[in-house]
Order: sequence, then C-alpha cells, then structure tokens
Amino acid sequence: MARPAVRIQVVEFGVLVGLALLVGRAAQVQILHGRRWAEEAQAQRTERIVLQARRGTLSDRHGTPLAVTQETYHVGIAPNELRDPTADGALLSRRLGLTARTWQQALRRRYAYFAGPYSALEVQPLRSVRGVHLESVLNRFYPDPAVARATIGRLGDDGLGASGLERTLDSLLAGRAGAAVVLKDRAGREYESPARVIAPPVPGLDVVLTLDAELQEIAQRALDDALRRMDADGGDVVMLDPGTGEVLALASRQRDGSARPSAFTDTFEPGSLAKIFAAAALLSLRRVSSTDRVSGEGGKWRVLGRTITDDDPQPSLTLADAIRVSSNIAIAKFAARLTPEEQYVTLRDFGFGAFTGIEFPAEATGRLRPPSEWTRPSAASLAMGYELSVTPIQVAMAYGALANDGLLLQPTLIREVRSAGAAGVRYRHRPEPVRRVVSREVAAALRDLLRGVVERGTGTEAALTNFPVAAKTGTARRVVNGRYAAGEYTASFAALFPADQPQLVLVVKIDNPHKGSYFAAQTAAPVTRSMLEQALAARTVALDRARLSTAAPRAAATPADDDGGMVPYVVPWPYQPDSAGVGPRRAVPDVAGFGMREAVRTLHRRGFRVALRGWGVAEHTWPAAGDSAAAGSMVTLFADPYAAARVRSRGPAPPPRGPRR
Amino acid sequence: MAKGRHWVALWLVAFLVTTWLVYARQTAAYRAARELADLRARRANLDGHRADLERRIRAAESRAVLVPRAQARLGLHLPSDSEIVLVPAPSGSR
Repeated sequence: MARPAVRIQVVEFGVLVGLALLVGRAAQVQILHGRRWAEEAQAQRTERIVLQARRGTLSDRHGTPLAVTQETYHVGIAPNELRDPTADGALLSRRLGLTARTWQQALRRRYAYFAGPYSALEVQPLRSVRGVHLESVLNRFYPDPAVARATIGRLGDDGLGASGLERTLDSLLAGRAGAAVVLKDRAGREYESPARVIAPPVPGLDVVLTLDAELQEIAQRALDDALRRMDADGGDVVMLDPGTGEVLALASRQRDGSARPSAFTDTFEPGSLAKIFAAAALLSLRRVSSTDRVSGEGGKWRVLGRTITDDDPQPSLTLADAIRVSSNIAIAKFAARLTPEEQYVTLRDFGFGAFTGIEFPAEATGRLRPPSEWTRPSAASLAMGYELSVTPIQVAMAYGALANDGLLLQPTLIREVRSAGAAGVRYRHRPEPVRRVVSREVAAALRDLLRGVVERGTGTEAALTNFPVAAKTGTARRVVNGRYAAGEYTASFAALFPADQPQLVLVVKIDNPHKGSYFAAQTAAPVTRSMLEQALAARTVALDRARLSTAAPRAAATPADDDGGMVPYVVPWPYQPDSAGVGPRRAVPDVAGFGMREAVRTLHRRGFRVALRGWGVAEHTWPAAGDSAAAGSMVTLFADPYAAARVRSRGPAPPPRGPRR
Repeated sequence: MAKGRHWVALWLVAFLVTTWLVYARQTAAYRAARELADLRARRANLDGHRADLERRIRAAESRAVLVPRAQARLGLHLPSDSEIVLVPAPSGSR
C-alpha cells in the first residue's frame, strides 16, 4: 500500500494527463480539424441554393412581349401535416387539377410532389394551407404561342435555348445564376435568410426584336387562309424593311400544321422571280437598251436541244416586256449577251448561294453553282430561275437591295438589346451594308420594270388602287426526289411597297397549290394584296404614313364622299407637306420622368405618333430617347406608377422641352 | 469581496444584454425575411394576374377574334386600299 503522498501524486499525474489529453483533443478538433468540423456543422444547419436568374424578355418592335419569364411553382404536400385532409384535399384537388384517385394516392405517401408547374394564381389560395410546401421556379411563357413560334424557338429541358432565337440569343438572355445559403432545421425545412445571399442573380438582357406583332399576325392569317383555300403543301411569307434590313414578319406553315422555320431553312427554285437579276446584270453592264427587241418565237423556242415556252406569246419583246409578261424566251435570249462569269457574279452579289448572316441558328445557303460546273443550257436556265435554289429570306434581301437603291443589307431580327428594367440600351441595330449590287440608277430602272409587272403584266392581281406596287411573279416546277415532278409547282411573289421609296418588301411562297390555278399571278399575288391592305389599315404597323401620303396622290385627289357612300378608314398623322418629300428623321426626345400628358405632348410636338403602354409616370420609349425615327412614325411610351423613383435614381429628370424642329 | 461580486454582476448583466441583443436581432431578421417572402409571393401573384390579363387582352384584341366579330355583329369589313384615305392633319393642330 503506497503512502498517501504518493497516491495523491499519482492522482495529480492522472488528472494532468487527462487534462493534457483533453487539451490535445481540443486542439486537434479546433485547430487541426477545425475547418472540416466547421464545414460539417455548417452543412447540417445550412444549405447552399442556386438563385435562378430571370431570363430576359423577347418583345416585338413595339414592346409587345413575345417570350417572358414568370415565377411558377412546384407543390409538395406532407399529408401528416394537413389540419383537415378532407377540406384541404378538396381545395388542393381543385387548384392543382388532381383527380380523386390521384389525391387518395398522394395521401398514402409520406410526401407527395406535384411538379406542375403551377402559376402564382393557381397556388395563391394554397399558401396558407399547413402541410403545403411551395417551391418557386422560373419558367418561360409565350403570351401568344402562335405568333412567330418557329422564329422565336423554345427552351430545352435544361432551361437553355434549344431552337430559334432562344438558342441564338441564349448567352444574352440567360443571365447569371446567383447563390444563397439558407438555414434549415432538424427536419430539413428551409428558412429564408436575406443576409445569406452569396451572389445575387444577374437577370438576362431584354431583346427587342424587329418583328411587328401585328404584321406577323397579318402574315400568319393570310398564309393560313391561302394554304387552306388552295389546299397547298405549305408556304412562307417574309416581310422586311428594305431601308434597314429589319425583318418585320416571318410566317411559315406546312400542310400538317407545323411551323418549322422554312423561310430560313428550305430552298426552292425561284423561277421567274430571278429574271429581274438577269435584267440587273444586263442593265449594269449596258448589254441592252430600252429599245432592243427580241423575237417571241411564237411562244416556243428550241435552243441547245431544249424547248423553252412562254405562256403569253408575244411577237417581239423589249427587256421591260420580258419582265412584264415574264417571258422565258426573251430573258433567255437577252441573257445570252452575258458571259457565265457575269451572270454568276451578279447572282452571287445579290446574296444567292451564301448565308445572309441573319441571327438564326439554322440557315440554308441555297445553291448557286460556279460557271465551271455549268452545262450548256445553264445560262438560260439561271436567267429563268432554274438550276438555282434560294431561301425566301434570300429573295427578300435581294429584292430589298433593289428597293434600297442597289445596296444589299444584312438582314436582322434584333432591334435592340437592353438591360433588365429598361435602364439602358446595350445594342441598337444600325443598317449593315453588305455591298453595292447595282447603281442607284439601275436600281431605279429595275423598280420601273417591276412596276410594269403590276400595272400591265402578270402581277395585276396585287395592284392597289391608290398605292403603286412593284413586284414579280414566279411559278416554278418543283423538284421531288431529284426530278421535276409533273403537275407540282411553287408559286411565289416578291413585291416592293410602295413602288417609289419602298417601305416594305414582301415575299410570298405557296408550295404546290392543288385547288384552282397554280400560277403565282392567281395564288401568291392576291395574298400579297390582301396583306398590304390589312397593313395599311392597321394602327401600329411600322409604315411611315407621312411618306405614303406622297405616294397616294389619287387618294388625296379623290374625295371619299364621291364614292357611293363608302366609309373611309381615316388614318391621321402629323402634317407633312408633299413638297417636303421625305422629311428628315428626328431624334426621339427623352421624356423619362414626365407625367403622361406632358410626355405625350412632347412626343406629339416632335411629330411622332404615340402608343401608350402602362400608366403613371413616363419611364422610357421605343425607339429609345436619342434614337432617330421618321416623323409620323409610332413611338411606344412606357409608363409606370413607380417610374419616378427609378428615374430619379438614374439622374435628374430633364425639364420639359419645347418643340425643336 | 463585495467588489468582486459587483464585477460578477456587471459581467452577468453585460452577458444578458449581449444575448438579448443577439436574440432581438435574429428575431427581427426572421420577421423581415418572412415579410420579404410574403411580399415576393404577393408580387408573384400580381405578376401572374397581370400576365393573365395581358394574355386575355391580347387574345381579345387579336385579328382572329376581332375581325369575325366585327364582321358578324357590326357588319364591318377589312377596308380595301381604295377605302383608306390618309388625311394630313392641318398644320395648326400641332
């Protein structure tokens, strides 16, 4: 038995060792492994979540939303937490559209999950129900899914753009996701904590498209009506502004009701639409004069082992006649004055056989073979629009070059890119010239040739009473499985409206019409006329009516009262004297922060028409302040009751300005 | 000895005050978070309402709806171009 002093020393030593071990273990936990344990503890009571970024809005040129992102919900139900399963079940079934059987199955589970997605309106009454857990998620909506569906495209299951502009513009629209840490309890339920946002989400940019929703609807309805009436296989309509290259409407439809973007992706032989390009080469190279005539050969001409025919035989024809009556024989004879290289270069210059450069993920180049691959009849075939495949958008841009005084522009679907909340314009489209195709004088001469088509030629069905139209018909045999199919035709029509200083280029293509005539003059031309009439009568369509007034002398000269009780549709716009011609474009004034009345007055004083969106205080305009727009054109004014605070935060509101001329 | 008790009391009070401040701050933060969540829910609800109304307005304004109704009920028709007269406003109205 040891002495007490020794025992005490042993106990003291034991305590010391114990303390040392404790301190050592504490040091190990806190210092050596501290970070790991802290992370583990953090993981047990917190969870890192991804904050979705709001995808930018796609809207038309007047601000009408075409694709928007909205908050939607997945719904989780914990049956054991429900206070009154019968009453709650009835409410949930009604709001979520559940059948009685589905609800009974849900009650048997520990946790039922309904992915939906359900809108905020649908889940609003469920917010106060105990046992119902809402998980918010951002979803893409298309307010009018039928409008420009193929052009706008859609998102894939991963939330990224899968087709159309949603795909092309994905990097702009997507934004950048944020991150946050939320607290959770023992049961894993999350508690929102505003102080724990690690990185706020950055919303995507808003993109203003060049499309005009009203023109788009006009085009789609006209095409649908035409396809139904003619029992056609499909068709396309393209409308664009030749002065800027902005595409205003794009409609495509197939027999089965689908709407793949065939205006970009499907090629066709343009037939007589291409005759004007042979004429362009002949006039540019001065290979033909206005008095030169060729024989019509009685409507049938055998050349190089091939017979060329005309539907409307003429004894002799000038180049203007050849275009007016769409004579295959005459254009083939005139085209013989060109070398293959000259013919090829002209077609190439008009953009055939190459991408137009439009912002669409899939675009066909068409086919234009180099002269080294031509056969002996190729020159005549190309002059008549065969051995050449094009897309409707290429045809529209080539005719746009004729309308634009010979300057070929790059087409675009994007008008503006804006930061979310309309705080600033990041990008604004400016016309992008590709090349000069023909001189200004030649372009004017070609427009005169096209005007003759509508006034006295094959395009009279597209003629308007008060507005001159320049156009060309094209009826071409269709290629099926590599061979021309008997009795199958593509009817197409390209028009410039008005013929002088054109504001619109329209291309209409009808594939294989079965009912009635297959000629473009009787199929595509009336569709064009119908669309032009509707566009003229529409309130917001992007037409400069002040310029149109100078193009409608007969309308001004003929009082409407003389017309047998006809009720005219009167379109007012700021006065633009005819002698002034086309007025200069004016800067859109900055009216941000103004009251509605003052903002509208200011815009009216500057000579703009005004379309209102919202109410309260003026926030911004489209076109944006500082941008130039033609006098008489439509400016969309966006107002918001809370805009004043936002405008103040951006800087002092400018004082109201008097008119500047 | 009494001086030592004062220090203990002082530390105790300081501890209680600090604890209370932390508690009050956390409570206020949770309350704010709940209010924020409620406001977000209300905003989402109103956004949904607005989107729904805008969609219905657009559908009602569309040509597919308006044109047949205007033709059937009011006897109107789409004007041909000869019926469209562009009338310049007099210069005095500017």
